[in-house]
Amino acid sequence: MIGRRTVFVLLALAVGGALLLKAGLPIGISPSTQEVFDAIEALDSGSVVMISFDHEASSLPEVGPLGAAITDHCFRRGIPVVGLALFSEGTAAGYDLLGRRAAAAGRRYGDDWIYLGFRPQYTAAILGMGESIAGVFAADYEGNALETLPLGRRVATYDDIALVISVADGSMPTYWVEFAQARYGQEIVAALSAVMVTSFLPYYEAGQLAGIVAGFRGAAEYEQLLNAPGAGTRGMSAQSAAHGLIALLVVWGNVQAWRDRRRKRREV
Amino acid sequence: MSLELTITAVLTLAIYSFLAGDNPVYRLVEHLLVGLTLGYSLVVTVRSVILPQAIAPLGAGEWGAAVPLLLGAAMFLRFYRRLGGWSQIPLAIVVGAGAGVALPAMVKARVLTQMTATVSGAQTINGIVILVGVIATLAYFVFSREHTGIWGGITRGGRYFMMIFFGATFAYTVMSRMALLIGRLEFLLGDWLGLL
Repeated sequence: MIGRRTVFVLLALAVGGALLLKAGLPIGISPSTQEVFDAIEALDSGSVVMISFDHEASSLPEVGPLGAAITDHCFRRGIPVVGLALFSEGTAAGYDLLGRRAAAAGRRYGDDWIYLGFRPQYTAAILGMGESIAGVFAADYEGNALETLPLGRRVATYDDIALVISVADGSMPTYWVEFAQARYGQEIVAALSAVMVTSFLPYYEAGQLAGIVAGFRGAAEYEQLLNAPGAGTRGMSAQSAAHGLIALLVVWGNVQAWRDRRRKRREV
Repeated sequence: MSLELTITAVLTLAIYSFLAGDNPVYRLVEHLLVGLTLGYSLVVTVRSVILPQAIAPLGAGEWGAAVPLLLGAAMFLRFYRRLGGWSQIPLAIVVGAGAGVALPAMVKARVLTQMTATVSGAQTINGIVILVGVIATLAYFVFSREHTGIWGGITRGGRYFMMIFFGATFAYTVMSRMALLIGRLEFLLGDWLGLL
């Protein structure tokens, strides 16, 4: 029998080994990721994308690469980004991510991107932005009045937002669907941690979500579409190694259980 | 290898020390995490909401901002036995308004649109599988009729559909948890030790 501590060590070795070896495996593009990519590709440079960082700091390793890849895509196409957070923990993480990607792409704060900051009571915040974005966020995260920022003046309601992308590790995209999509007809995309995928597939299948991109796999696919390998692609190799090991352990455990049962039957 | 990175690495290793067994170092770092998270959320809320949306308007003579501030403060009266009843007022407003706003949206997005998509989508093999899965799963939760005969076969089918869902969800959960491990190992091996 393999003890749990042995399993932990084996997993660490598998993941660490894959990271050190930089093993690259071929990655296919899933239709939902392609749809998200195509949705942003179809926008003209006059469109504005809203990215909501609806996650906790603990899920950054997984949702960070997703947010980075999507932000890079927007900036590469010259599409301005309005950032915000509906979880207090995601506030600084979102600001930091947008700031770094904007600096790398040479985008200017105020013109090419703004960050609205955090609002509690997500229901009221999502509904309120349908009436007036400045009514919910009178000032941005840095304390500038929204009307003093060129991009801030361009976005009054969801009518001025082409696409909302919720980078989430929980059920927040549900509320975007309920209060922004169902009520205002706003297109929503969910960039999710993998654990939430099965919860949101029904919304995607029903057309309530314009696309889903999820986990390291989604980030790796997106990076491949951008032709810019990054954290998602690196993580995917390690994830494949971990999954291979777990699958082997599951098979090995079942074979052992079957042999134990057979031995006991013989003893009887 | 900066001091900041080393502190982060030591805290990461302290958390992972739980894998060897519960220990005081793990508990110390766990409490640190809880305290930091709470403190950070409090600061963000005060800075982003209380100061600009309540205190600043009051300072500018907009007395209407006092209403939500007082209602919010009344929530804390729950901690005082004699005045606790007053906390029912803001609670009633939150529950009433919340239910009023959420119910129609929830019924539309989670029930009506989903039902429409389930029925109208049954023109492809995937759509038919979804429709059969929904009917069989709902049948499983009808407990007023014994699960025997043809009905029992349908409910057993529903159970299989749910098992497939639970299996897929668990696999995705493993995927998510592995991503967190990869993120930490990438930090330890790359950012901290510079091996990547």
